Amino acid sequence: MVHFAFLDWFWVIAFIILMTVCGILFYKLGKRSMSDFFLAGRGLPWWLPATSVYATHTATDTPIWVSGVVYQYGLRGLWYTFFSAWCAISAFASTRIFRRSLAYTQAEWQTLRFSGLGAELLRGWIAGWQVFMNMFVLGWVGMAMGKLCNYLFGWPQWVALVLFSAICAVYVLAAGYWGVVMSDFQQGVIAFLVIVIVSFWGISVAGGPQGIVSKLGEMGQSWRLNPFAFSGLTGGDFPLVWFLTMLVIAVIGGFGMGTAIDWYPEAQRIQSAKTVRDASYSIWSGTALIVIRNSIWAVAILGFFVLYPDIQETAKYEMAWYRIGFEYLPVGMVGLFFAAIVAIHLSTISAHLNLGASYATRDLYHHYLKPKATERELVWAGRISTLILLIGSFIYGSMMKEITQWLIFALWIMAAGIWLPSILQVVWWRFNSWGYLSSWIANLGLSWLVVWILPEFRLMPDLPDYLQFWIMMVLGALIYLPITFLTKPEDMDRLVKYYVMSRPLGWWKPVRLEAERRGLVAVEAGATKGGS
Amino acid sequence: MSWIKRRWTAAEADRWTKEDYITFVISPLVYVLLMVGTALSLLLRWYGFLLLGVGLALMLFMLWVIDPKLKAISEDYETKQKHYLEDLEKIARWEK
Repeated sequence: MVHFAFLDWFWVIAFIILMTVCGILFYKLGKRSMSDFFLAGRGLPWWLPATSVYATHTATDTPIWVSGVVYQYGLRGLWYTFFSAWCAISAFASTRIFRRSLAYTQAEWQTLRFSGLGAELLRGWIAGWQVFMNMFVLGWVGMAMGKLCNYLFGWPQWVALVLFSAICAVYVLAAGYWGVVMSDFQQGVIAFLVIVIVSFWGISVAGGPQGIVSKLGEMGQSWRLNPFAFSGLTGGDFPLVWFLTMLVIAVIGGFGMGTAIDWYPEAQRIQSAKTVRDASYSIWSGTALIVIRNSIWAVAILGFFVLYPDIQETAKYEMAWYRIGFEYLPVGMVGLFFAAIVAIHLSTISAHLNLGASYATRDLYHHYLKPKATERELVWAGRISTLILLIGSFIYGSMMKEITQWLIFALWIMAAGIWLPSILQVVWWRFNSWGYLSSWIANLGLSWLVVWILPEFRLMPDLPDYLQFWIMMVLGALIYLPITFLTKPEDMDRLVKYYVMSRPLGWWKPVRLEAERRGLVAVEAGATKGGS
Repeated sequence: MSWIKRRWTAAEADRWTKEDYITFVISPLVYVLLMVGTALSLLLRWYGFLLLGVGLALMLFMLWVIDPKLKAISEDYETKQKHYLEDLEKIARWEK
């Protein structure tokens, strides 16, 4: 339990009022149209979605996750957080392609890329899955806040889950994405400053940089300072093949759309940017900030390890960074620290509330239920969807117990079977909606089968996660590739329209030649010799 | 560096060229260098500062390579999008 003085509570209450009012101020802009409620009118300069990317992906569970992997693996643990590096290539490849369409959501994009029944099924499927997934994310982030407040104040976990999500819902319901992105800017700045202050404080308490290095040496733990301290090619707790698998997934995944679950919130930020250039820079710089933030955290957690080297329980060392702040900051500063935690929590909650509502409104309500709805009706549909997501998140939150286990499953395994198809849909003209749809269905079954069910019944050994990834990728390909070749290619009119709009990269030669034949794009010099 | 094209028309910028591929290679490398360089710099390792410095220099080089192309794409695209947004604005005003 942590004792809060008057000054601590002052910081917390002042920040909550500031953040909520900041969001509500944009009520008039948010209610103008669906485009405003979900994309801020597609007119934002790069630095606003960039801070939103950063703030959204700095949640209450993030320091818990980073603390867990760095305490366990030393600086090598940073690679577990490197999955966000898919943005390195995406910012200049799939972001550019996606922003050139005027799709509101990834689900809508499917009907621009594919045609017919397959495209419609994909849109419905992805929209429904995203509504569920955002409730799920809201639940686990809310649960992380519940866990933290239980540690701090002894509150039952559901109290913080409900309280802070409900506060956040006020400005999301009022101003939609305008409220989200404007609060995110303020919350992102506060969070970054406080992360730097608390982490530097922790480093100082542990004896400063030199003190940490020398104490690790005395403890025989110097390997923790080496981000490349592999335990062998395939054996041990940090094999080289794991590292290479992670690099392939993270970096090459940037050519696709939906290769990481973070693509979906990023897709909304991409579409809210003013231009292709703004979209690219927002994704790239927001993620660069995330990568730097993780390193600052990691060094503070190394400091924590020096102070408390013998913690065995995952749930306890996962709280490393929070313990630095709450156990070592002086009175008055603790409240500022908690206010920053509330800021990072609200930024994530608001983003996922609005994102989930955008799929429910644009892809389910507007597309399937009421295509002729007015802008006013659509804004209200957005608000009602937000409310439904909020209530759903309370239910999911109360069902989750172990953060790290869920995160590894969601970030890594659940994406395995659709990783390659999500790239193929962007780079290969012949990949069709049936191939992509079948990969999703196969992945759902395979991921549970390979990760949970077969090992449980001892029909398969408990494999390391990198092997599970490759197995699921191959098994999935054995299903979706035959289906792709056994079904017809997409309609050429649709492909040409998509090509002219998005100018995708990769293997699009037949479509490009058709577009050139129709006079829709300029003939490339020496193009007939090229493979694309 | 004449092998890096710095003046683009919108039609030229639509194509995927070596400037894009250079960016695809450098960009992940910059993330690696920023991450590892920041952590090791905070621990006052000399090679941490070196890696961070190289990361920042590569980032500037990457922007120098890709920015003219992104500008060309965006200017053309912004004009097209402007009409769409104007229409949307009219609808929103009409409904008030």
